Amino acid sequence: MNNVNLNEDQQDCLQEIINVAMGQASDQLARYLDTFVYLKVPSIEQVSAQHLSDTLKYEAQSVAVVSQGFFGYEGIRGEALLMYQPKDSDRLADLLGYEPDELSVEEQIIDLSSILTTTFLNVFASQIDNQMSYSAPRLLFSSNADNNTSSQSSISEHIQHNSFNWDTALKVKISYQVTDYSFNCDMILLIPESAIINITSVIDRILEEY
Amino acid sequence: MSLSVLICDDSNMARKQVLRILPESLSENVQLATNGVEALEILNNQPIDVLFLDLTMPIVDGVGVLQGIKEAGISVNVFVISADIQPEMQNKVLELGAKAFLRKPVQLDVLTTHLKQHDII
Amino acid sequence: MSANPFCTTIAEQLNTGILILDLDYNIVEWNRFFAIHAHKDAKEVIGKNVFTAFPELPQKWFERKLSSVIQLNTQSFCSWEQRHHLFELSHTRPITTDSHFMAQNCTFLPIETDKVISHICILIEDVTDVCHYQTKLNKVLDELAKANRIDGLTQVFNRKHWEECLDKEFSRARRYDHGLALIMFDLDHFKLLNDTYGHQCGDTVLIETAQKISSLLRLCDQFGRYGGEEFAAILPETDLIGAVDVAERICKEIEKLVIKFQDKDIRISTSVGVATINPNDKRYEDLISNADLALYEAKATGRNKVCSAKEIEYILEE
Repeated sequence: MNNVNLNEDQQDCLQEIINVAMGQASDQLARYLDTFVYLKVPSIEQVSAQHLSDTLKYEAQSVAVVSQGFFGYEGIRGEALLMYQPKDSDRLADLLGYEPDELSVEEQIIDLSSILTTTFLNVFASQIDNQMSYSAPRLLFSSNADNNTSSQSSISEHIQHNSFNWDTALKVKISYQVTDYSFNCDMILLIPESAIINITSVIDRILEEY
Repeated sequence: MSLSVLICDDSNMARKQVLRILPESLSENVQLATNGVEALEILNNQPIDVLFLDLTMPIVDGVGVLQGIKEAGISVNVFVISADIQPEMQNKVLELGAKAFLRKPVQLDVLTTHLKQHDII
Repeated sequence: MSANPFCTTIAEQLNTGILILDLDYNIVEWNRFFAIHAHKDAKEVIGKNVFTAFPELPQKWFERKLSSVIQLNTQSFCSWEQRHHLFELSHTRPITTDSHFMAQNCTFLPIETDKVISHICILIEDVTDVCHYQTKLNKVLDELAKANRIDGLTQVFNRKHWEECLDKEFSRARRYDHGLALIMFDLDHFKLLNDTYGHQCGDTVLIETAQKISSLLRLCDQFGRYGGEEFAAILPETDLIGAVDVAERICKEIEKLVIKFQDKDIRISTSVGVATINPNDKRYEDLISNADLALYEAKATGRNKVCSAKEIEYILEE
């Protein structure tokens, strides 16, 4: 489908909206977690269902992946994937202000994921005069919880095993780096093609004002 | 007399946002840069009175530009316009010599107030 | 609960628990579902602090959770998979599940009054059913995964899984330049035993021999049934002297082993081949071949003994 391709202006506009959302979300996070979040330019690209697992190759090293669905008015919806690397899971409890044995690593990962996803998307939505609702976050895969010996399964395998009912998705990748705890985590938003068309019309409306 | 202005932001939309709210005295001699390297090149080669600077950019970011300006001893009034509104970041850019920190998306009245405050207009 | 009559009716009829707190964690409102399953009187709950009304709540965790909702003005979740329940509520399947309290999926929603957060709404879904079936499913999956790895008769690793283990250990030993030893066992005159006493006797011998060998290995060693009456053990970070030592000990113990079958005392012995990883081994199959050769040597030179791959090389060189 060609009409889902964003042109340069649309891409730029989306990028700027994401930038502002990222900035405000990071500010809230920084205050809540009492730390500083280092911001990088987010990446936006279109991926085909076939190549999704390829584009997630790097992320395949993740120990844990949390998925959370989001949906707003005007047919804007998608799925957020939060990816954690092995070295980072130890630092989570510290970051969230829990005592070490107060809750499991899985719970910490889910908790932080939900905070990262909802703070970002709330600001994102308010910028385009929308409002988001969320599904409960789910741990898709965690090597910590892995009790079988075939621990080679990874996010790309996990995704490969599903057959999708979409052809193209918009992939937005945002990297969070928390300096005080040297903690990293990637947030990947996947927006299916029917929703891209809806986002595009919202973007066009914003661009008309310029 | 019109002042020379440089707007540095990787987003076309963000540059336009600033352009369309510039007061008259600043809108006659405007140059644009899309990243920190381009901005520093222009700053090193010609006098610029006012720089509107984004922070989160590829190659060299806004903090890198501020450091470059300091190192080269360039005289320019820098107004940071950024989405990265964390207090720590705001303090950092002010310490590095920026005149003010303006949060994105920047509004006309906020920009005017800051420009007046620093005797630019 | 609300001025809107529809909302009131729905909130009261809904099969979801609703609890509304103010920012000081005092309970402002609840719905019928919550009241019924909590078995508490409204007097004990409404206007009371949530920790007083529900002392079972993990206070510190709960406060941290609510503070994220208040501070970030965003919703938060808690799944039964991480915490079976927050509130001690009864559920609708007390007879047919073993769950004492209702398994819960909880959602914490910020509620704004004039654009400022004023309350928190806690939604409680009864997922006792889901929890019950998911737990059952997980158990079955675990059992399936186990069945996939275990030899049904002897309860040690099956050949497929044992070879996967060897594959991993082999690459690990290569990568870190660690030692790795392989011991192969073949029970002596097993066919004769089967022919004389029957297959049930043979099975008993296989089970007891496997048990005996397992008990003589370290926890980190991986032991499996390689074929009919052949067993094999992987000994990580072990050199030839160590492995031969273990093999000799097992060989002697098996010789001493007396297996009871239908009032008869059955005695057996085993031939053993030992090999260690050497620089010429390119694949783990090479290691198996070497151990196999040693095992053949033990068989050919009188049985009930241990031969190692090194000795064979020595013999071949002579």
